Amino acid sequence: MKNKFNHIVIAIVAVGMISLAGWHTVSAQATLTNEQRSQIVSNCVTIKNSLNQLHATDALLRVNRGQVYESMASKLMETFNARLANNGRDVQGLELVTSSYRSTLTNFRNHYQEYDRQLTDTINIDCSENPDEFHASVLDSREKRSIVHEDVKKLHRFIDDYQSAIDDYILNDASLRESN
Amino acid sequence: MEEEPLTFWAAHRFFLLVLGTIVISIALVCVSLVIYTTSGAIQLDLSRPGYQSVSGHVIRSDPVDGYSASGPVTTETVNEFTALFATEAEKAKAVDAFNGDPLNPEVLEFGQSSASAE
Repeated sequence: MKNKFNHIVIAIVAVGMISLAGWHTVSAQATLTNEQRSQIVSNCVTIKNSLNQLHATDALLRVNRGQVYESMASKLMETFNARLANNGRDVQGLELVTSSYRSTLTNFRNHYQEYDRQLTDTINIDCSENPDEFHASVLDSREKRSIVHEDVKKLHRFIDDYQSAIDDYILNDASLRESN
Repeated sequence: MEEEPLTFWAAHRFFLLVLGTIVISIALVCVSLVIYTTSGAIQLDLSRPGYQSVSGHVIRSDPVDGYSASGPVTTETVNEFTALFATEAEKAKAVDAFNGDPLNPEVLEFGQSSASAE
């Protein structure tokens, strides 16, 4: 009983420390010196222009890359899986990679939406009036953008995985291996 | 024989018809705008103000050549697919989208604040 109580106390202390550490990181990120604050205020127009440009180019990137990633799944992976399945082949391995790719693609879309909304919010903040709020919002957008980039890297990894899965498939399929 | 006076609704039925049509149209426009915003379609719409500079750079042709879902599975067809997939995979991975750190406070001319952010 006492042992259980000790575990609970340790867990509460650990959660508290993690929360404190997290809060400290956030507050450290959001804290600005007077000099930095005045830099934001004086460069407000330039910063806003850069953010607007980034917003537009990232939107273009989302449209073009999204199209490519969607086509990789719908026009290649899924159609090849379907052809194998129609011929009575076992496609479990390939379908597993395809479904992981699909779910990462969904995450990519959702995370981009979150990033886009955050960046829109950032642009709408008046940096000459609220430099602290603006700075915190920029850092939030920065983090959300890095999550989108992580999704892109994962998608590229799944494309490689699918390629390896095809190679394995050919190796394990006697009829294809013999003719090769 | 004296005619009965028209009720309020009967007397204004044309006006009510027009009003009802306008109310229904406004409601449908609101619903479609909510769907447009929440579905993420708004973010793919580069015809919005502020995106004219990039809207001409959208790739309108299909970026990936497709593969037929029907047909036999032979060495030739599998080889054909692997070659096609390798080409398209190369194209898909050629762009490391959303890389870099353009929102780094230092990049945005925030001065020293990047040090505290990292």
